[in-house]
Amino acid sequence: MARVRAQARAQGVQSEMRYRLRLAKLESAVFVSHLGTMRAFERAVRRARLPVAYTEGYHPHPKYSFATALGVGMTSEAEYVDIELIDRADSPVGSRAVLEAVGRELPPGLSVLAVAQVMEGSRTGLASGIRWASYRVEISLGMALAAAELLGQASFEIEIAGKGGKKTVDVRPMVRCAAPQGRALEFTIACGGRAHLRPGDFLSALGSIAGEKVRTDGFGVHRTGLFFEVESRLVAPEAHECTDLVIAAGL
Amino acid sequence: MTFPARYTGNELNAAVVDHDSARASILLAFPDVYEVGMSYIGFKILYSIVNSREGFIAERAFAPWPDMEEAMRTHGIPLYGLESLSEARRFDLIGFTLQYELSYSNVVNMLDLAGVPRLAAERRDGDPVIVAGGPCVANPEPVADFFDLFALGDGEELIVDIMETTARAKEDGVDRDQLVRRLAAIPGMYCPALGNAAVRRVVTDLDAAEYPEKFIVPFLDTVHDRVVLEVMRGCCRGCRFCQAGMIYRPVRERSLPVLCEQAERLVASTGYEEMGLLSLSTADYTGIQELARKLVQEYGPQGVAVSLPSLRVDSFSIALAREVEGARARRTGLTFAPEAGTQRMRDIINKGVTEEDLMSAAADAFRSGWEQIKLYFMIGLPYETDEDVIGIAELARKVLDLGRRIAGERGKAGRVRVNATVSSFVPKPHTPFQWHAQDSIEEILRKQQLLKEPTRVRGLSVSFHDVMQSHLEAAFARGDRSLGAVISKAVDLGCRFDGWVEHFRPDLWKQAFESQGLSPESFANRAYSFDEALPWDKVNMGVSKAFLRREAELAAQGITTEDCREGRCTGCGACFGDVRVRLQGEFGLAASPSDGEGAGTGAGTGGAV
Repeated sequence: MARVRAQARAQGVQSEMRYRLRLAKLESAVFVSHLGTMRAFERAVRRARLPVAYTEGYHPHPKYSFATALGVGMTSEAEYVDIELIDRADSPVGSRAVLEAVGRELPPGLSVLAVAQVMEGSRTGLASGIRWASYRVEISLGMALAAAELLGQASFEIEIAGKGGKKTVDVRPMVRCAAPQGRALEFTIACGGRAHLRPGDFLSALGSIAGEKVRTDGFGVHRTGLFFEVESRLVAPEAHECTDLVIAAGL
Repeated sequence: MTFPARYTGNELNAAVVDHDSARASILLAFPDVYEVGMSYIGFKILYSIVNSREGFIAERAFAPWPDMEEAMRTHGIPLYGLESLSEARRFDLIGFTLQYELSYSNVVNMLDLAGVPRLAAERRDGDPVIVAGGPCVANPEPVADFFDLFALGDGEELIVDIMETTARAKEDGVDRDQLVRRLAAIPGMYCPALGNAAVRRVVTDLDAAEYPEKFIVPFLDTVHDRVVLEVMRGCCRGCRFCQAGMIYRPVRERSLPVLCEQAERLVASTGYEEMGLLSLSTADYTGIQELARKLVQEYGPQGVAVSLPSLRVDSFSIALAREVEGARARRTGLTFAPEAGTQRMRDIINKGVTEEDLMSAAADAFRSGWEQIKLYFMIGLPYETDEDVIGIAELARKVLDLGRRIAGERGKAGRVRVNATVSSFVPKPHTPFQWHAQDSIEEILRKQQLLKEPTRVRGLSVSFHDVMQSHLEAAFARGDRSLGAVISKAVDLGCRFDGWVEHFRPDLWKQAFESQGLSPESFANRAYSFDEALPWDKVNMGVSKAFLRREAELAAQGITTEDCREGRCTGCGACFGDVRVRLQGEFGLAASPSDGEGAGTGAGTGGAV
């Protein structure tokens, strides 16, 4: 099969095309783990009968790349996944067809918000490129004031429980912005391999300033965006080195 | 809370139910966690049959893990159906799957959580009717107190009768007692309160039997999370310890075109990445090679892997596994079940496997690149001597030596691993060994000890099943109605999830038995005589007692009995009327004249075609 594919590629008939999907995880799916979400997505793509590119070998895996995991309990409108399709050069599948096919097959609790084609030659990997994540959560006035206070400081150290026990971490550089929006707080914090702040840890930092006990298990937290950082600007993954962006109707 | 997705439902392909317009409703209850219950094909079949009919609805409920149970009790949340979150008491029927004896405490606990009186005798109008199905109904007596009815045998047609009868009874406005009586009148239904004799239901033609067009696709990783094709039901190999090999007779195969259609539909509706071929002995399916090849060709390129559980111990099976599973299987290792260590013992249990079979299959496997082999054995079998027990260690070492020699040619002798899993024999009802006592706990422990020294070899490991669990399993398998009070007491003491080693509390069980003046020994370790009435005599699972007795006597003499597909009819009694061995390839032929006059005549004439 690999040989046939290579041949087709050489003749310019087929090529592997990367599509980037932006998904939403709704209230009814908050108990589904990241692994469960990934599995559900893979199965939806198989049901959709899209020409997915598989890894070679005895047990082929579809070529997927998921962005940062979402904690159990959170909802999201910014779950990203790249998939590779074997596309005919003369008649590509196209973002709209991917959006419709996957949208039809996703299980309850998951939906597609947008699809774009990643331009050939793009060197930014989805998972490795993410630097920031934004969230929204309902908060009290005290917490909103605490956010302003935290932003006003040059550094702010808290204890964070990690795999290797508790660590003291300066979270201030990992908070890019935090602004009240009505009764909610929208905040953008570091996300990804280099620096990562969990929304629960950010909220407990605010709680320590406000002297309030806050829920840190993720429930009530909504992820609104994931971003690359390009020349110190935030760029949504579907807007970076992508074409043929299609957004789901009704948004 | 561990794995909250166990309790939220809302999976792909879950049924949308409307209680208000339903004529009859059933809560399908599985007395173990979601991941286990969602893996049973019978559960999926019943769910699909009920929900595909207008006016009937089925929802699912599983045993809550102790953390969830605590939350439910704290907040006063009753057991509920996952589809509409309706409480269990709202259903007309609650149907439990009794897959293994060690789930009995969970049954009672789930009744408690449902707010339904534990004892059938104490239920009144407005309480759901509690029914049980599954292999454990082969001896319903130990749990007879808790159930209004038991459903025996294949469920495809029976479940429709149950739902229809319930709907009509509701429409006629009869009371609960009358409903139970009407249900008990359905062929295949046993009602402990009435004590009626019942004969198990059998689906004659598997091609005509309903099979789900879609499976629910869980968000959680379940035990068997894949497309499952049931290639056949029943097994006529006649291993004398094996209950499944007796109570699912005769062999009925599904035809190739039907299986291919089902595969197509299920892959399309689930998107699963794996497909398993299910039966008691899949390599025995006529045309297994053709089927496996077709599936691999069709679905391999779509990224769907085909897997073959329950392989036989022979070269054919190895060749098949190599072809179908390829490198994937070599990573996971291969499992053989010689069951006993000496030829004498294997003849007694009628396991038609010789040492040469095992050695040549193992040689093929090692030559094909497998480096890990798992061997299943039992100890405590009838007429077993210490020599037979030590034979297990010797056989395992021979396989290891063989593997070292073959892998050694590639310079990889050190990587060969042989894993022997040794369970304790549990005598089961409706088998030729039903009259035999289980070895005492001390005797089993002594036999385990015998195996420890000779298996202390690099590359060989041996693991044992929990003796107390097997002991309790035997007591429940062979016990009578007096066990109901024991189970009830054990649940009060806190027993749950007894099949899970981390939750099993033998001390509490001991206390529960003592409180009723009983002991597990008096059920597990007692032999029944041939002339004695057995607790499970009321229940006819197809094979005749005369056949079982004949087989028991042949076992005592070490004489084997052939598979009726290859040789002559063994007269087991499972075939009668239209019920007969049906093999793939003979489909389309006129059904054989029904020359049987009822159970016991043995019209199994479906020879290999």
